[in-house]
Amino acid sequence: MHFPKSRKKEGVLHGMEKKRKAAALSEGKGRKINGNPKKRRGRLISTGYLLPSAIGVLLFFVLPFLIVVYYSVIDNPISNQFVFFDNFVMVFKNAAFIQAAKNTFTFSISAVPLAVVLSLFLAMMLESKIPYKSQFRTFFLSPMMVPIASVVLIWQVLFHFNGMLNEVRSIFDLEKIDWLNSSYAQVVIIILFLWKNLGYNMILFMAALSSIPKDILEVAVLESATPFQIFIHIKLRYISSTILFVTIMSLINSFKVFREIYLLKGDYPYDTMYMLQHFMNNTFSRLDYQKMSAAAIMMAIVMVIIIGILFLTENYFGKDVEG
Amino acid sequence: MKKIYLAAGKTDIFRAIITAAVTVCLMAALFGCGKGGTEQAEVKDGYVYVPEYKEFAVKARYINEMIAAGDEAYVVAMVQDGEGEDEQYKTALYQYDLLENTARELPGVDLNDNMNVNSLLMSGDGNLVMVVNQYDFEEDENGEVVDSSMTMEIKRISPKDGSVINSQDMVNVIENAENSYVRNMCEDGQGNIYLSDGEKGIYVVDKDFKKLCEISVDGWINSMAASKEGDVYVTSYGETGVELKKVDLAAKKLGEPIEGIESGQGNVGYYASISKSLMQSSSNKLMLVDLETNTGEELFDWLDVDIDGNNVDIVGELSDGRIWTVSREYSETGDKYELVFISRKKASEVPQKEEITYGALWVDSLTRRAIINFNKANEKYHISVKEYGNDYDGSERAQFNADLTTQNCPDLIGLSGLDFAQYASMGVLEDMYPYMEKSGMHKEDYLENVLRAYEQDGKLCGIASQFYVTSTFAKTALVGEQNGWTLSEMLDFVEKNNPENVFMYGSRDSIFRYCIYNNIDEFIDWETGKCSFDSEEFIRTLEFAAKYPEEADYNREDEGIASKLRSDKVLLLESTVSSVQEFQMMNGLIGEKATYVGYPNSERKGNLIQPSGGSVGISANSKHKEGAWEFVRSVISEEYQDNLVEDNYGWGFPIRKESLEKQFEKDMTPEYYEDEEGNQVEMSKTTWGYDDFEMEIMAATQEEIDAVRALLTSAERLNGNVDAQLSNIITEEAEPFFKGQKSAKDAAGVIQNRIQIYVNENR
Amino acid sequence: MKLIAGKRKKIDEISLERWDAVIKKKKRWRLRKKAVGIAIKTTIAACFAVLFLMPILLTITNSFMSASEISSNYGQVFATNDSGGKVYISETVNLKFIPDMVSFSQYITVLLKSPEYLFKFWNSVILVAPIVVFQLLVAAGAAYGFTRYRGRVKEIIFFVYIILMLMPYQVTLVPNYLVSSWLHILDTNWAIWLPGIFSPFAVYLLTKYMRRIPVSVMEAAQIDGAGEWQIFRHICMPLCKGAMCSIAILIFIDYWNMVEQPLILLSDEQKHPLSVFLSKINAGEIGLAFAVATIYMVPPILVFLYGEDYLVEGITYQGGIKG
Repeated sequence: MHFPKSRKKEGVLHGMEKKRKAAALSEGKGRKINGNPKKRRGRLISTGYLLPSAIGVLLFFVLPFLIVVYYSVIDNPISNQFVFFDNFVMVFKNAAFIQAAKNTFTFSISAVPLAVVLSLFLAMMLESKIPYKSQFRTFFLSPMMVPIASVVLIWQVLFHFNGMLNEVRSIFDLEKIDWLNSSYAQVVIIILFLWKNLGYNMILFMAALSSIPKDILEVAVLESATPFQIFIHIKLRYISSTILFVTIMSLINSFKVFREIYLLKGDYPYDTMYMLQHFMNNTFSRLDYQKMSAAAIMMAIVMVIIIGILFLTENYFGKDVEG
Repeated sequence: MKKIYLAAGKTDIFRAIITAAVTVCLMAALFGCGKGGTEQAEVKDGYVYVPEYKEFAVKARYINEMIAAGDEAYVVAMVQDGEGEDEQYKTALYQYDLLENTARELPGVDLNDNMNVNSLLMSGDGNLVMVVNQYDFEEDENGEVVDSSMTMEIKRISPKDGSVINSQDMVNVIENAENSYVRNMCEDGQGNIYLSDGEKGIYVVDKDFKKLCEISVDGWINSMAASKEGDVYVTSYGETGVELKKVDLAAKKLGEPIEGIESGQGNVGYYASISKSLMQSSSNKLMLVDLETNTGEELFDWLDVDIDGNNVDIVGELSDGRIWTVSREYSETGDKYELVFISRKKASEVPQKEEITYGALWVDSLTRRAIINFNKANEKYHISVKEYGNDYDGSERAQFNADLTTQNCPDLIGLSGLDFAQYASMGVLEDMYPYMEKSGMHKEDYLENVLRAYEQDGKLCGIASQFYVTSTFAKTALVGEQNGWTLSEMLDFVEKNNPENVFMYGSRDSIFRYCIYNNIDEFIDWETGKCSFDSEEFIRTLEFAAKYPEEADYNREDEGIASKLRSDKVLLLESTVSSVQEFQMMNGLIGEKATYVGYPNSERKGNLIQPSGGSVGISANSKHKEGAWEFVRSVISEEYQDNLVEDNYGWGFPIRKESLEKQFEKDMTPEYYEDEEGNQVEMSKTTWGYDDFEMEIMAATQEEIDAVRALLTSAERLNGNVDAQLSNIITEEAEPFFKGQKSAKDAAGVIQNRIQIYVNENR
Repeated sequence: MKLIAGKRKKIDEISLERWDAVIKKKKRWRLRKKAVGIAIKTTIAACFAVLFLMPILLTITNSFMSASEISSNYGQVFATNDSGGKVYISETVNLKFIPDMVSFSQYITVLLKSPEYLFKFWNSVILVAPIVVFQLLVAAGAAYGFTRYRGRVKEIIFFVYIILMLMPYQVTLVPNYLVSSWLHILDTNWAIWLPGIFSPFAVYLLTKYMRRIPVSVMEAAQIDGAGEWQIFRHICMPLCKGAMCSIAILIFIDYWNMVEQPLILLSDEQKHPLSVFLSKINAGEIGLAFAVATIYMVPPILVFLYGEDYLVEGITYQGGIKG
C-alpha cells in the first residue's frame, strides 16, 4: 500500500525527533525502545480513546439489547413472569413471523447479490475509458440525495394499480397488474433497493478496481490473457475484500428498505412485502414486547452466523492480496 | 521546525480544551436540563401552587363580562332581583374588591333590560370604558313590535359614581354599527382603544373616541389583549393552532404570528399580566409570556390547582403576587362561580398528598370534573393527569405503551381510544372486584351486563360511571320483534325492501361501519387465526356497498328524516339511547312501533355498550393502587351515581341499579303548570329534535321505561372501535372495486391477504 | 564470445521489432474494437443514468407545477379521505416531466405562507449537524483505539460493534425509549443526538480504514518518541481525512432521512424534523410534497457536489469486513 507523505508531516516527525533528542540529552539517559512499561502505557492510552464510544455504545446499544434479551424471556412487560423459551417457541410457531422471516430472507438473498453483481458491472463499465465518466458517476449517486418520502411518492406513481407502468402496459393491450398487491410486490421493492444502492456500491468497486496495480494487468495483456481471464484471476482476486465489504453494506441497507415499504403500504402490506421489521414494529405498537424481543434475538443470532461466515470467507480469500 | 511543532501542539491543546468544554456542557445538559422532560412538574424549585376558594361575592346567574384592574375587578353580571313571587333578573355593573372579596353595584350606571354591555375595559386614566348596545322599539296597542332600532355607544365613565365623562355613537366608528357586536376591546400605551367585532376588522379610536383607522383582517379574531409594554395583540386560528399576532398601528395591519410560544390547546386566552408581557391560559395550563424574548414560562397545570382550564375566562395577578381566577361550573340551574386565589408556597409548608397519575390518550370533561372534585374533597390523595394525545401515526400510543412498562406507569388508566380487550388480556389492568368487596360494595348493585362487558377472565378490568347504548332501529312492521340479526339477514332484508338508501345519509363508509367494522369478529376467527374476508358474505357486502353513494350528501334538502323513515325510503336509523327522552323521541320520529335490531352479529346481539365520559381501570403496575381505587370508588359510589341523576350532567345512564331506577322515576314524573283557571296541566319536560323533526317530550310511560330497561340490559358487547389499521386496509383495497377496475373477488382477495397478516401477528 | 554476443543482440533486436509490430497491429485492431465497445458501454451507462436520474428530475420539475396540474396528473394515485385511507379522484395518471406552465405557487406556499416548513427544516439541521460532527469525533477516537495494540478482547468488542451496527432500528427502538426515559432526556433533542453520536456505524468504517495504515508508520513515529496523542493527531487524522469526509456524507444522508426516531422519542411535533413531516404530507397535499422535497434535497445535493470527490477518494482503501 502506498501513502502520500505530505511535507508537513515529515516536518512534524522531524520536529519530534529533535525534541526527543533534546529530552534524551537533558536527562542524560539512554532509552529503551519497545520497553514493556511503555507498551503497556500505550495500550492503556489507546484503550482510553476507545472509552467514550464504548460507554455510549454500552448505554445506547448494548443496554437496550440486554433489555431486549430480558423481554424475550418474560411473559409480558407488565407482570414480568419468567417463562424461559416460551416466547421463542410461540414466535417460531407464529405464521406472521414465519412469513416475515421468509420474506426478509428471500429479499436479502436476492437483492444483496444482485446489488453486488450489478454494481460491479456498472463499475467495470465506467472503468473503461468512456466519456463523461465523472458525470455518470454523479448520476448514479443521485438516488442517495432524494428524500425517502419522494422516492415513495414516485414509486407510487410508477407501480400503483393506476400507475404509469400499467398505463404503458395498457398501450400494448396487456392486462393491468396490481404490482404492490401481488406476488410482484417483492420485485418492485428489489428494484427500489437496487436503484437506491447501486450508485454507492459502484463507487466502492470503482475505487477497488483503480487500486489494482497497473503493471500486473499489463503483464496479463502481454501474456494474451482474455479479458474474462483477467477478470476472474486478477481483478476479482484483488477486489475480493471489497466484494465482502459491499455485501455487508448492502445487507445493512437491505434492512433499511423497510422504511420505504412502510411508507408505501403502511403497517400491513401485501404478504410478500411483509418483513421482519413489520413484525417487530407492529408487535411493539401492540405492547407485545416479548414477541418483538424474541424475534429480534433470533434475527441477531442469524446475523452473527452470517457475519461469522463472511469473516471466515475473508480470512480464506482476503489475506493474499492485502499488503 | 520546532516552532511549527510547538504551535501545532498549542492548537491541539486549545482544541482539546474546547472539546473538553463541549463534553462537559453535554454532560451537564444531559443531567441538568434533561430533568424538565418528565411530567412531575408539581414541585418546581421547592415551590408549589396552592388554590384557595372563595364564594363569589356577586350572586351571579351568568357573568357577561369581567375585567381585571389591579386588585379590583369589574363585573357585568345577570343577578337575581327579588325573591319568590317577584323573582326577576337584572343586569348590573359591579366593582369587585378582590382582596376583601366584596362587591358593590356601581351607582349611576343604569342598565335596563334592553341594554347589553358588549365590552368593558379599565383605561389608563383610571376610568372605565364600555361599549353598550341599546335596543329601542315601539309597541302598538297589541304589544306587537312595530319599529325597532339598535344603537351602539362607547362611553367613558367614572368608577366612583358611574357618571359619564364622554361618549360617542359607534355609527361614527363602525359602519353598520346597529348590527355589530364588539367582542373585544383593548387600550394601548397611548390611550388608543382597539375594538374588534371578531370578523370584519379592528377599529382604532383615540382617547376622545375619534376614529383613527380601521385594520382589516382575514379570519376570525378570537381574543385581544394588551401587553404590559402597551402593545395590543390578537389571537386567531392559524394552521398550527391559536396564533398570537401583534397589531401594528403604524402599518395598519397585523404582524406575523409570533413563534416560540406554545399555541396551547382548547380554550386559549391571553390576559394582562403584571410580571411579564401577558398571561396565557389554555385548557391545561397557565403560562407567563415574555414578548421581548418570545418565550413562555409555565406557572402551573390547571388540574394541579383543581381547576378545569376550559372553564377559565379571566385570570389576573394581584399586587401581592397571587394569581386569581374565576372558575365557572355548568349546572342546570345557571352557572356556578367561584373566586380562586392561587398562591406560590414552599412545598415544605404545604401538607403533601399522595400523588396519583391518571394516564390516558385524552381526558373527557366528565372525567376531568370528577378528578377535580375528587382532588378538592380528598385529604389523602391528589390526582394529576397525563394526556398522551391521539395522533394518527400512533406515536403517542407507543409512548403510552412504553410508559406502562416502566416506573412512569400511570396509576389510573383512562381507556378512551384504547383497545380494552387487548390491554385487559395483557394483564395491564388490575382486577377491581376484590377492591369492591373490601369497600363493602356489591356487584349485584350494578348492572351485570355492563360489569360483564368490562370483565376479562372473570376479573373486572375497567369500569364506566355512566353509559349508553348504541343501536340501530327500524319499523317493527318491517323487521319484526327481534334483538339482533345476522349480516345475511340484514342484507336480505334491505334487498327485499329495496329502499332509496339504507341510512339517511348512507354512504359506502357508513355501510362498512355498520356491516363490517362493528361486526369484525365475524370475519376473524381468533381461535384458529382464519380470516374470511374472501367469503361470499364479505364479497356480497362489498357489492352491496357499491350500490350506495361514495360520500354522503348532507346538502340534500328534499325531505326530512321522519318522512323518509315513515315512507320506507330509508330503512334504518343508527341511534344512541342515552336517555329515556331520546328513546321517546326516536319512537316519535318513526311514528309507529320500532325495533332496536342493533348491528349485524351472528349471535344476534346487536346492541352495544358505550361508556359515557370514558371508562377507567387501575394499572396492575401501580404503586398506589389503594389511592387509585379510591378514585374509582368515588365515581361508582351511591352519592356520585345519584348525583348524576340529579345534576343531569353528561349523557347516559348511571350503572348503579338503584340510581338507574331513580333516573327512571324522574323520567316518569310528570311536570305541571297551572293554567289561568288554576288547573294543573301536564306540560312537556323538554323538547328533542333530530334533523327536521322536533317533539315535545312528556313524562315517560311504564311501557317506555320497560322498553328502555330491556334495551339497556340486553347490550352485552362493548362498542370497541375497530382498529384503524383494519378499516384503512378495507377502504383502501375496496376502492379499485368501487371504481370498476377490479372485481369484488379480487379486491376481497387483497383485503384477505393483508388482514391475514394482521391476524397472524396478533395471535 | 564477441561474435556470439553480437549475434545474440541482433536476434534480440529483431524479435523485439517483430514483437512491436505484432503488438501494434493487435493494438490497432483492439482500438477499433474498443471504440465500438465504448460506444456500447456509453449507451448502456446512459440508459442506466436516465433511469437513475428520473426520480430526482421528476421531483424537481413537478415542484414547479401548480396544485391543480398535480392533482390532474396524479389524482388517480393519491388522494385521501378524512380517515386517512387512500381514495382516488381523477381517472388518468400522467407522468410528466415538463410542467404545462411553470408555477412557483408551491414554493410560495412553502417558503412564504407557511413558515412551519422552514421551521421544520431548521429542526432537521439542528438534529443532524451535531450527530455528524460528534459521531465522527467519537468514532475517530474509537477507531484509533481499535487500531492500536490489537488484541483478542478488542477484536471481540469490534465484532460486537458490527453486530450492533447490523441490528435493524426497530429492535432497539423500545429499549432506547426506556433508556432515554431513564436518563430523563425523552422529548428533548438529546434523545436523538446521543444514540446518533454513539452509533457504531462510523466506528466500523473508520476502523477499517485506519487499520489499513501500515503499522510501521505508527511504530516509526513511536520510536521517534511521539506519544499516542501525537500519533493520533498527526499521523492517523491527516491520513483519514478523506475517509472522514466520506463517512460524514454517509452519516448525513442517513440521519437527514430519519423518520422513526423522532416519531417515538420526540412527542412534541414542534421538534420534528422535516423528514417526518414530509412522509406525512406524502399522502395528502402531494403538490406541496414535491416542493418541500426539492427544498429538502438542497443540502444533500450540495454535500454531494462538494464532497463527491472525497467520497470516492475516501473509500479507496476500504475493503473486507474486518479491516
